[in-house]
Amino acid sequence: MYTTERRPSMAERRPAVVSMSAQNVVPHLAGIEDPLPDTTPEKVDVLIVGTGMVESVLAAALSWQGSNVLHIDRNDHYGDSSATLTVDQIKKWVNSVNQDLFSGCYNNAKLYVSTSVENHNGKYASRDFGIDLAPKILFAKSDLLSILVRSRVHQYLEFQSLSNFHTFENDNFEKLTNTKQEIFTDQKLPLMTKRNLMKFIKFVLNWEEQLQVWKPYANRPLCDLLVEKFHLEKAQVFELLFSIGLCYNMQTGTPEALQRIRRYLSSFDVYGPFSVLYSKYGGPGELSQGFCRSAAVGGATYKLNETLTSYDPNTKMALFGDGSQVYVTEKVVTSPSQAPRDSKNMPPQKYEVHRLTCVVEKSCEQWFSEGESAAVVVFPPGSLKTNNNEVVQAFILGSGSEICPRGTSVWYLSTVQQGSRAEMDLDAALEAMEASLIRESSTDLERDDSLVQFGPNGETLINSVRLGQSFKQYVPREKIQFLLKLYYTQYTSTPAFNVVDPSFFDINKTDSDDRLVPGASDNGVLYTAMPSGEISYDEVVTAVKVLYEKIVGSDDDFFDLDFEDEDDTPMNKADYENAIEDDEDVDMNVGRHESAEFVGEMEI
Amino acid sequence: MLQFKLVLLGDSSVGKSSIVHRFVKDSFDEFRESTIGAAFLSQTIKIEDKGSQQEVVIKFEIWDTAGQERYKSLAPMYYRNANAALVVYDVTQQDSLAKAQGWVNELKTKVGEDDLVICLVGNKLDLCSGEEENSSKPKAVESSEAEGYASEQGLLFHEVSAKTGEGVRQVFQSIGEKLYESKKHELAASKGRHGVGETGNVQLQRPSTNDATSCCS
Repeated sequence: MYTTERRPSMAERRPAVVSMSAQNVVPHLAGIEDPLPDTTPEKVDVLIVGTGMVESVLAAALSWQGSNVLHIDRNDHYGDSSATLTVDQIKKWVNSVNQDLFSGCYNNAKLYVSTSVENHNGKYASRDFGIDLAPKILFAKSDLLSILVRSRVHQYLEFQSLSNFHTFENDNFEKLTNTKQEIFTDQKLPLMTKRNLMKFIKFVLNWEEQLQVWKPYANRPLCDLLVEKFHLEKAQVFELLFSIGLCYNMQTGTPEALQRIRRYLSSFDVYGPFSVLYSKYGGPGELSQGFCRSAAVGGATYKLNETLTSYDPNTKMALFGDGSQVYVTEKVVTSPSQAPRDSKNMPPQKYEVHRLTCVVEKSCEQWFSEGESAAVVVFPPGSLKTNNNEVVQAFILGSGSEICPRGTSVWYLSTVQQGSRAEMDLDAALEAMEASLIRESSTDLERDDSLVQFGPNGETLINSVRLGQSFKQYVPREKIQFLLKLYYTQYTSTPAFNVVDPSFFDINKTDSDDRLVPGASDNGVLYTAMPSGEISYDEVVTAVKVLYEKIVGSDDDFFDLDFEDEDDTPMNKADYENAIEDDEDVDMNVGRHESAEFVGEMEI
Repeated sequence: MLQFKLVLLGDSSVGKSSIVHRFVKDSFDEFRESTIGAAFLSQTIKIEDKGSQQEVVIKFEIWDTAGQERYKSLAPMYYRNANAALVVYDVTQQDSLAKAQGWVNELKTKVGEDDLVICLVGNKLDLCSGEEENSSKPKAVESSEAEGYASEQGLLFHEVSAKTGEGVRQVFQSIGEKLYESKKHELAASKGRHGVGETGNVQLQRPSTNDATSCCS
C-alpha cells in the first residue's frame, strides 16, 4: 500500500529558487545546484531499473515531482529495450539474446553483418550506425510531444518530418493522398469516390459526437462502416485503415480505428504539411537519453553497469550486483528485460513482435518526400505472396536522419503476426521492397533509349561513351547490397494497442505487497511493459502515467512543470499548450512551410 | 547571433558547476540573455571581430553533467555536436589533473567535431591564494605542469576561482574568440548558401498557426 503522504510537488518545493530578477524564476535544479553526495545514496524514494523509454520518462516525471530517484541499468549504455545501438553493440546484444540473458523478453536473434562494416579497415565503421531496437514515429499532436516540450527535453533533440506513407498494392507502392489537393487532382479517382472520401474525412474529425453514424458498427470492424455507409472502395479503405490509421488487420474495431485515423488527420499541419516526426540520431534510444538527462537535472542519480539482484519488500532493501544496497522508501520499478535473477512475479509476456532490420547500401531517396529522409511503407493484409493476415510495416530512414552514412538507408520491418509465419511475412515484404528498388533504379536508364542498347541475346548494355565516367557505376544492379540484416522476436505483455487503453498497461493489478512468492527475488516490484508492436510512441505516456499514479497516488502533478525561462512566453496557450515563443537564433530557424490547406476544411 | 554548444567535464567535486554559475550569474546584469534553464544554461558574450572591428554576439549553450559523470553514465547525446568543452581540475588535488587528462582523451574519442575547442581549467585558486594564512592549502598542481600539458595537446589553459570569480570571464571570452576564429569562414560560407534553416529540423516549440484543430469543428 502506498498510503504515505505525497511529497510536496515541485512547485511547492521551490524555496531554493534562483532569484535573479523578478521575472526570471526557475525551479530548483537539484542535479546541478546541489553538491553531490560523496557516496551512493543509502536511501531513495524510488529505484528504477532499466533506462528504456517508459522507465526514463517515469524517472523524469518523478524527479520533477520531488521524488528522490535512483535509476540504474545493467548495460553500459542507455535505452535498454528501446536502445539505439552501434553495429558492435548489436553484435553483443545478439549474443546476449542467444545466451538467454533476456529470458522471456527476446529470442531467435539472427544477425548478418557485411565485411565492409565488419573489418577495421572496412568502408564503414560500427559507430556510423545507430540502430533502434524498437523504432517509433511521433505524431505531431500527441501526449508525448506535449511532454517533450513542457519538460524542455526537446531541446536536447532534433526532429524531422516524415510525409511519405506508401501502401503496397498490386506489386506497387501507392503514395498516400493525404491532402485535399491531392485527392482532387488525383486523375485516377472517380468523382464519386472523391466525394465519399471527403465525407468520411469530415466525419472522422469529430466522430464521437455522431453516434447515429457509427453506433451500429461499434462492435464491428471499421471496414464494414467504410464500405456500407461511406461506399468507399478497397483502395481507399486500405489507405485509411493501414496508411493513415496504421491498423494491424482488417478486424480492427470501429472506435479504435476511427481514433487511429483521426490521430493522423489532427496531427496534420500542426508543424507543417505532415503528421509525423522522428528524432535524428536514433528514436526511442535518443529520447530515453534526453529524459534521463532531464531526470538527472531534476536530481536523480544515474548508474549504468549496475544490476538489481533482489528486493525485499519487508526490509525495503534492494541489493545490487556490486554488493551495495539501498533502502527504498516507496517503490522499485523494473523493466522485464532487467528483472533480477530468480524473479517470479514478472507478468506473462505473451504477445510477439517480429522484427527484421536491414541496413541497405542504397539511399532510397525516391521513397522520400523532397527534403526529407524517411518514409513508411505498409503491406496490407493479403498484399504479400504469403497472403499475410497481419500488416507488415516498414519504417525507412535515410542518411539525413544521421543514423547511417550517406548512400545507405535503414529499413525497420515489423509485424504482430504470431508464430513462425511472421518471419515468412517479413521476408516477403523485404523481397517486395528489394524488387521495387531494383526496378526503379533500372527504369531511370531504360527510359532514355540512346543510353541503353540491347546485346545480341537481349541483355542490356549501357552506352558508356555517352554516359560518361560518372554514369558508368550506375549500371542497374542485380542485387541490393545488405550491410546488415537482423531478425529477432520480442515479447511483450501488451498487445499493439487499438486505442490508448490504460488497462493494457496496468499489468500489476494486484497490490503485490500482500502476495509474496516464497524465494522470489522480485516481490513487491512493479514491472513496466516491454515496447509493443505499435509503431508510434502513443503508448508510452499512458504506461508511465499508470506507474506514476501507483507511486505518487495521483497523476495531478504529472509533469506539472513551469520553467519560466526565456522560452516561456506562450503564444496562444488556449489553442495549443506547447506553444512557446522562440528565441531568435538565426541558425536554428526553419523556413516556414507554404501553408497547405487541410482536408477537413472543404465544404462538400 | 552565433550559437555554440559547450560541455563541462571533470571529476565530481572539482567545481564544474560553480564555474558556470559564477559566469552566468555574474554576467547577468550586464547581458540580458542569461538563463538558467531546465535543459541547459545559456549565456551570451560579445567579442570583437579582429578584421572588421565589429562586435559579434556569441551564445553559449552550456551543458552541465548533472552528476551523470559520477558512474561513467554520460550519454552519447551529451557529447554530440559539442563545439567546446571545459575540462576542469582542482589545483589543490594532485590526482585531479590526471583525471582531467582522462576526460580529454574521452572527449577526443567521443566528439566527432574536428574543430572542438577544449579549455583546461584549474579551479579553486582561492584556496591557495595565501591571503588567509590559516585556510590556505598548498597548491598541489603547478601551473607549469598543467600549462605544459595543455600546449602539448593544443588546449586553452586557465586557472580560476569560481568562488571569487577570478579568471572566470576570461575562460569563456577566450573560448568564444577561438571558436569564432575557427568558424567564421565556414559560417560566412553557409550563410551565403542557405540563409536560414540549413538543417531542415522541425522546431517543436513552434507549432504552425495553421493548426488543424482550429479549422474543422
